[in-house]
Amino acid sequence: MIKKTLGKIAGLLVLLLILSLFVFLLLYIAPGDPAEKRLTSQGVVVTKEVLQAEQERLGLLKPFFVRYGEWLFGVVRGDFGLSFKDDLPVAPKLLQGLKNTTILATTSLVFSLLVSYPLAFISAFRKNRLADHIIRIISFIGNSLPNFLISVLLMYFFCIKANLLPVIADGTAQGLILPVLSLSIPTISRFTRQIRSEMITQLSEDYVTGMRLRGVKERYIALNVIRNSLGHVITIVGLQIGMLMGGSVVIETIFRWPGIGKLVMDSITARDYPVIMGFVLIMGTIYVVINQLTDLCYHLLDPRVRT
Amino acid sequence: MKRKTIAIIFAALLAFSAASCGTVAEAPAGAGAAAGTEQAADQSAAQAAASTAETGSKILKAASSFAYPSLDVHKEYYGWYTSIYGISEALFQMDENSEVVPCLAKDAVTDGNTWTVTLEDNVAFSNGNPLTAEMVVRNLKRAAEENSRFAYLSDFTIEATDDKTVTITTPEIYPTMKNDLATPELGIMDLDSTTDFDNAPVCTGPFVIDQFNPEGDVTVKKNENYWGGDVKLDGAVFYYMQEDDPKLLAMQSGEIDCYNSVSSAAMEVFETEPDKYKLVSIPGARLQFYILNENRLDDAVREAINLTVDKDKIAAYLSGSVSPAMGPFSTKTAYGQVGVPPVDTAKAKELLEGDGYTLGADGIYEKDGKKLSIDIAYYAARSLDTLALLIQEQLKEIGVDSTLSVYEDPDSTYIATSDFDLALYCSIADKSGDPLYFIDSTLSDGGYYDCGGFDDDHCQELIEQLRYETDPDKRADLANEIVQIAIDDNAYGYVGLFNKATVLRPGVSGFAENIPFDFYGINAETDMQ
Repeated sequence: MIKKTLGKIAGLLVLLLILSLFVFLLLYIAPGDPAEKRLTSQGVVVTKEVLQAEQERLGLLKPFFVRYGEWLFGVVRGDFGLSFKDDLPVAPKLLQGLKNTTILATTSLVFSLLVSYPLAFISAFRKNRLADHIIRIISFIGNSLPNFLISVLLMYFFCIKANLLPVIADGTAQGLILPVLSLSIPTISRFTRQIRSEMITQLSEDYVTGMRLRGVKERYIALNVIRNSLGHVITIVGLQIGMLMGGSVVIETIFRWPGIGKLVMDSITARDYPVIMGFVLIMGTIYVVINQLTDLCYHLLDPRVRT
Repeated sequence: MKRKTIAIIFAALLAFSAASCGTVAEAPAGAGAAAGTEQAADQSAAQAAASTAETGSKILKAASSFAYPSLDVHKEYYGWYTSIYGISEALFQMDENSEVVPCLAKDAVTDGNTWTVTLEDNVAFSNGNPLTAEMVVRNLKRAAEENSRFAYLSDFTIEATDDKTVTITTPEIYPTMKNDLATPELGIMDLDSTTDFDNAPVCTGPFVIDQFNPEGDVTVKKNENYWGGDVKLDGAVFYYMQEDDPKLLAMQSGEIDCYNSVSSAAMEVFETEPDKYKLVSIPGARLQFYILNENRLDDAVREAINLTVDKDKIAAYLSGSVSPAMGPFSTKTAYGQVGVPPVDTAKAKELLEGDGYTLGADGIYEKDGKKLSIDIAYYAARSLDTLALLIQEQLKEIGVDSTLSVYEDPDSTYIATSDFDLALYCSIADKSGDPLYFIDSTLSDGGYYDCGGFDDDHCQELIEQLRYETDPDKRADLANEIVQIAIDDNAYGYVGLFNKATVLRPGVSGFAENIPFDFYGINAETDMQ
């Protein structure tokens, strides 16, 4: 067991090393100069000498492998470097953004599951009946609407028309309502359709037909269907966690939620390589850990996987 | 049983949300930029501060499109924001006519290479400490160390000759010293009393920091010791809002009282309700222009292009976000008095035909079997992408074909290599009420943006004169003559000046809505009814 765990950790480290080298290379060859972005961020042009001095100060004139080596050496010592945008340490910025995004993403995920599971259940057990049609149409629309439109529409109805919530949200539970709703509507729609589909598959399995023939009550059949669909649900939840943790830039920007998505988007615009690299490492780790946890859940839920 | 289960699940969800948010909200605020502070909690605190003050105090609430991690006046562009928040002041400031007027300094006079700056007598910092010449000297030296754009100050000899007099000796005559001293990055801080430059600089402005959330909301309160007299507001809150739609909605819901950089879509909404919103739009200092490559395009083609590009139509298409430009500077300034030939597509065609071009069957001019097609280089910011398309369309109407080449960073690509026929660019043309900065960058020999092959000996002579001329009227005349040479040579096309659009609730005034520069906001005269 210990050997297996150590093997997985080693695999993760190799994966992160390859990932970091690849992303560093992409950033290196991508157009864009952090020094220029920084100096001209307000539209003031600078002289060639000032630009060169800034490039030198940020270490941009060094060869690729020297830059990568310095960065990697820092990371090994736990130092993610300083932001090119403002010379502040990268790690606290990323951790703060990650924390805020985790709050938003987890709340949205739990809320989405709580809403989508019952909807999928009703839709599957009332297949091709009125309730099913309504749920499918609504989930289709919810899945089709872009995030920014949902956000602005929610803001308009809740804040202007109904006057229930403020436009300028804050870090309290009240300020979390609209961003969570905006993030959840497409997630609920997606989950509902996917879980419904899995439940319908389960309902057509032989064990359900057998239970019905034996006169087992629908309640117990439903419990079996729900349990057997959990494996699929875990897969889609695992994927969704990765997506949500990547941050929703639009929602974070519109609702002024200082999450990691907005931080990284701003960093990409500013060519803030240290922040982007730190983000890649963190997200790479998160994805791998989530995958491992998903596998673990399969083991716990499905005895066939264990054998 | 079912109800109980559902209730437990929802209670758990609510508890989770509350716990999550509680974690954010309970975190210590204002822990410093370096520590990566709890911004969400800080925003909450800022709102709380605002709502506390709603009990009768005059607290202005504004939206800000930018937010920075520090309030250190000298670093980066942070001084722009300490100036907008009314915290810091420079020795001089710009007025509505882009003229330098006194602020912390009474006056500055020069006799050759030495400037003598006399400070106002009664200036004091917010902590009551008087402003001394020695403190000014230390501030200017610190700005030179902390900000690479002001490193040139280290070449000057800056000294305090008495308590209220500073002398600045330059290696050569330096006529724009007053303009430089009006830039907000050269705002003055009490370097001895300031213990936290990032979060709580001690300055001279009419407001002091109350709550600063790095890269988030900012709350200021009245400086009770303001040296300039009464401050009309009790405080202000600047909510960091990047997106246009939330700003519009916050204005409609009454959560903010004013903001600038109003989008054209929002302007249309505000214009429909003039009794509810006061909209002020003036030409700003940010210029959209293009450079014509003289090494690739002959005189007739360049002139034809300039006679074809219709700035009025472009401004109309951009729905009020830009004003048509005559030259690089506002026509309100003394150095913005130049003439540009009106749009004349018939004459443009004549010029092309006189140059040997014939109109092909596809409506595109050609010469020696080669189509007249130009390469338009641009980058997708400041509406330059729209501008590129509009220019392409207008040129096509007279028979000039074009291809669009988009770049990420103009400075390190087409500006550096001169690989273009027509290059679009946008920058601040009037940085601090003087034309030299822009003229030097774009028209002088070796200027980084003189990348289209413009070269005129007489123009260079005039630029050298401008470099050392100290009389403002003569400087304006020189600038007008220089820019006119570039216009007549069809080296450039000055398309539009971005408007500085501000929306205010009725009764709100003094939000720098009539000043073309971006770095002013509230001051002692800002008021709300």
